[in-house]
Amino acid sequence: MRPTGIFFKTYAAEARVLETRRSRLWLLALGVMLVALPLFSGPWLLGQLTYAFITLIAVYGLFVTVGMAGQINIAQSAFVGVGAFTAAKLSGLGVPFWLVIPAAALVTGAVSVLFALPASRVKGFYLALTTLAAQIMFPIVILALPMSWLGGLVGLPVVSPELFGLSLGTPHGLYWLALVFAAVAMFCAFNLPRSRLGRALRAVHDNDTAAGVMGIPVARIKIEAFFAGALFAGVAGALTAYYLQFVTVSSFTIFASVWYLGMLIVGGINSPLGPILGVAFITFIQEGLHTMSNMLLQSESGGSFDGGAVFALSSIVLALCILIALIFEPRGLAHLWHTIKTNFRLWPFPRN
Amino acid sequence: MTPTLGITLEARNLSLRFGAIEALKSVSVAVEAGSIHAVIGPNGAGKSSLLNCLSGFYHPWSGAVVFNGQDISAAHPPVRSAMGLGRTFQGIQTYPSMTARDNILTGFHSQMTGGVFAGLLRTPAHVRQEEVFSAKAEEIIEFLELEQSRHLAVGDMSYGLRKRVDLGRALATGPKVLIMDEPMAGMSPEEKGDLARFILDIRDHFGIPVVLVEHDMDVVMDISDRITVLEFGQVIADGTPDQIRSDERVIAAYLGQAEVAA
Repeated sequence: MRPTGIFFKTYAAEARVLETRRSRLWLLALGVMLVALPLFSGPWLLGQLTYAFITLIAVYGLFVTVGMAGQINIAQSAFVGVGAFTAAKLSGLGVPFWLVIPAAALVTGAVSVLFALPASRVKGFYLALTTLAAQIMFPIVILALPMSWLGGLVGLPVVSPELFGLSLGTPHGLYWLALVFAAVAMFCAFNLPRSRLGRALRAVHDNDTAAGVMGIPVARIKIEAFFAGALFAGVAGALTAYYLQFVTVSSFTIFASVWYLGMLIVGGINSPLGPILGVAFITFIQEGLHTMSNMLLQSESGGSFDGGAVFALSSIVLALCILIALIFEPRGLAHLWHTIKTNFRLWPFPRN
Repeated sequence: MTPTLGITLEARNLSLRFGAIEALKSVSVAVEAGSIHAVIGPNGAGKSSLLNCLSGFYHPWSGAVVFNGQDISAAHPPVRSAMGLGRTFQGIQTYPSMTARDNILTGFHSQMTGGVFAGLLRTPAHVRQEEVFSAKAEEIIEFLELEQSRHLAVGDMSYGLRKRVDLGRALATGPKVLIMDEPMAGMSPEEKGDLARFILDIRDHFGIPVVLVEHDMDVVMDISDRITVLEFGQVIADGTPDQIRSDERVIAAYLGQAEVAA
């Protein structure tokens, strides 16, 4: 709900995400703060934020495919991998980054259509299995291809991005690059629900039988859902490649796919605000666990506690987060935020 | 086939079988332009089968569906929808997570343009188009008196309102004929009265003929221009409400013995 005294003269103004001048100023302030952040922060925080931005882009892809269209996708990490290998290969051929990133997005989109073609004919568990197959096939295909193509088991080095002769391969440069594309991803994800395709995605999600009769080509919309989601994954993949400077299949596991889904669920599957909150929350918990376990490792000087235990522990915590979210707030942190905001605006009157 | 003047939608000698059951036996129905045409009959008479043949969910074993003089028997449901064959559903088939206006806007899908990139980037052309179709959706919202609920998620609405949104979405597809499957089922008398008024308005203001399958005999007798009565997959009577009311076979088959005694 919005405060009283705000009226609109056009439908486009009504559909705005930021309805008032004040909210636009707040976003501008946040943007300026994020852009200026590298001047004040150390490399560790910068690296964490860069990786969080890249993750956010991938989760926004899932928001489109899973959140809006309701097409479960357990292969987002493999699609990120496709984008990363495309970017690595193209950067090795001397293509500049501003061409590499859109190209990686389009290649990933094209690959996703290959898997979406069968996926558009199945639902539920069967769709989950189809996308799982994409995730499993990804390393197998990369390893089976000749070494000279995508590096096989060894992987591919990535040439650092450059702009006007300045290297963007530094922590600062990568941070700004990831920030810009995260902003673009956010812009797109907030736009989509207010478009013809966005409504068609929701319609297919809510009731695909009725959608078909009302003139919406359901199979085509499902394919477009995967394509749009994979565009985000491709961008995230290209940025991951630049961030890691070396891509191997082992960086794009099914565990990452599940983490992406977890972030989407915890943040809120129905709101474009959800991915931001989910990624922030889960990254915070992950990092907290890492810091904690590092302290334990140092204090016990490498006793019974090792990397495997950290991995298991963080998986258990993720599972707990998802369970708690599903039981107590199935609409995620985004809905919680919405509730708090409404309560604040209506105070001292009760909501409803 | 030669176009029949004044007939919008026609079923010609439709036959349909499910295993040993003959759902339709050479059923012919002709819906005249600008009329409300009711299809009635006891449970299992074949009303829904006939409707599903008209909208393309079932393919009849023999016979043809003719729409504005064109044989559309082979067309799939989305194609028929794009041709102007609108329909509303039995029960609730709206999109619960979307607002009333967005539900109605989905009906314009085949009239709008723009795919993945227009949607993601919100291009100026796409925004202009949104403006045009939002205004059209508002006309339907006004017609169906949904102004209070335009931004409400349909899943949070009452049954009667959801049925109205369903009707609004069907109107948005720009139908040349509207097929309604038991629109009154489960409604309160007040909601029935409202909906009957909307159906009459659709005929009078939009000039759209309505094919109505309905169990509520009072409503059918009140608003229909023509009634076709089915029993065991066969047409047993066809005529104006007055003719149907006095038809002995209909009284025996459908309205029951009490009507004869009275």
